[in-house]
Amino acid sequence: MSFPMQDEWYPVAMLSDLHRQGRDTLLLGQPIHAARDPNGIPIVTTQNGQHLVTIERFGHLWTSLGTPRKDLFSIPEADQPGRTLVDVGVVRVKCSPLRAVENFLDIAHFPFVHTDILGAEPHTEVENYQVEIREDSDEVWATKVKFFQPQAAKSAEGGITTDYMYRVPLPTCSVLYKTCPPRPAEWDVICLFVQPLTEELCDVWPWMALFDDETPLTDMIHFQQLIFLQDRSILENQLPRRLPLDPGMEVPTRADMTSVAYRRWLKRHNFTYGAQLVAK
Amino acid sequence: MSMPATAWWTPVALSADVPPRMVIPATLPVGPIAVWRSQSGQVTANHDRCPHRGMRLSHGFVRGEKLSCIYHGWSFGKEGGCTAIPAHPKVTPPASIHCGVMPTVEQDGLIWVASAQPDTAPPVFDQYQPLRMLNFCACIDRIKTVCDASSRDPATDTYVTATLAGFVTRLIVTPLNETETNVFILVSPDLSTDQKIAISRAAEVLRNLCERPSPEGQQT
Ligand code: FES
Ligand SMILES: [Fe+2]
Repeated sequence: MSFPMQDEWYPVAMLSDLHRQGRDTLLLGQPIHAARDPNGIPIVTTQNGQHLVTIERFGHLWTSLGTPRKDLFSIPEADQPGRTLVDVGVVRVKCSPLRAVENFLDIAHFPFVHTDILGAEPHTEVENYQVEIREDSDEVWATKVKFFQPQAAKSAEGGITTDYMYRVPLPTCSVLYKTCPPRPAEWDVICLFVQPLTEELCDVWPWMALFDDETPLTDMIHFQQLIFLQDRSILENQLPRRLPLDPGMEVPTRADMTSVAYRRWLKRHNFTYGAQLVAK
Repeated sequence: MSMPATAWWTPVALSADVPPRMVIPATLPVGPIAVWRSQSGQVTANHDRCPHRGMRLSHGFVRGEKLSCIYHGWSFGKEGGCTAIPAHPKVTPPASIHCGVMPTVEQDGLIWVASAQPDTAPPVFDQYQPLRMLNFCACIDRIKTVCDASSRDPATDTYVTATLAGFVTRLIVTPLNETETNVFILVSPDLSTDQKIAISRAAEVLRNLCERPSPEGQQT
């Protein structure tokens, strides 16, 4: 069986938590084993002993079942000196990996799901922003996104209007750039790396590169975990379980332009693992 | 059931289980629904799926006379039409956006829902009032066998008579699928609280009996 998504990169372990005994897990429904060899080199093997390609980047081990067309994307901002790199850990979610990414791209839910943290009524309006599929990099980008946040980050005091940019470089990965309270000229980087276990189950590995020397690391991790647990209560209760890629099943508005572009981009590339097509 | 499930009333909850400003999940033979009571007391049932991004509406919240989705706060009125989209407060939602309201009747302490408008009203149970609802992991025939099928009301086919804790009760049995059945227990209104508790316990024993394999060793 061969399908376009098997030639993409996926996170399968957190490097700081990968040891000799390794981790039995699934990738796109296939059992794999991620571990370190006696020299400490990360390796990923399939059930019949085949070694898969690997990359160590952004605190995680990445692999692919097939032949990736290109190198794993880069995040130049994350390399800036002075950033704290935060491995948040893993959150298992009983949902389509594509639904997990789409939820990450959405700001309109902040006042209702992350109440008094990332949003609060009556500040519910989503102003127009810009969305494009960048042909050169083949990535979905949303820019000039603005939203009122009562507590935008652990380091933010009181409410502020936060600027965001969203980027989808891979079918199950998204990078969020958001206003960095201690350094207005820079962006905080928050990533959602999703490991598709099956079409309706995923391990979510959030990862952050922040300018924040004040907040203890554990507080940053707890803050982000709280956010993702709130999202999980949504993601495990959406119907249908799989992301509908054809129009008609769900009703988007202007606030959902990023989600619409993401679905269109997925469909264009036949990235349909975790998706529902009308024909199905 | 002798009536097609699509055009017949199904009991989905006790009135008492849905107080004002509450929404609960329930199941019709055709699928999951959200049942909610507005501030003023009116009960509404609709598909348990928000037309926006598919979130279950039974996880939502009721404000005034509207049900709101917990994901992005879209609000729906008693006719099912979307009345507000918080991301676009100045926009009137198009009439085409709705959450599929179903015919609902509240009668003698029970909430009945149908997926299409039936020709007749839900059955009336004189001298009985609902005590509680239980979900049995057993098919309807198994429940009938355990309760003694001969006492089943042949005219409407809607209930089974069972003696629980020494009292005659009526069970409204609604198959959800091959293996699951909702059972509403109706009792005489004259019973004391202790008697009702005893019946409730006996109903749980009945459920255990029904869920256990039958004596012949096979689940009927
Ligand atoms: S899914 Fe219900 S409001 Fe968005
Ligand atoms: Fe969220």
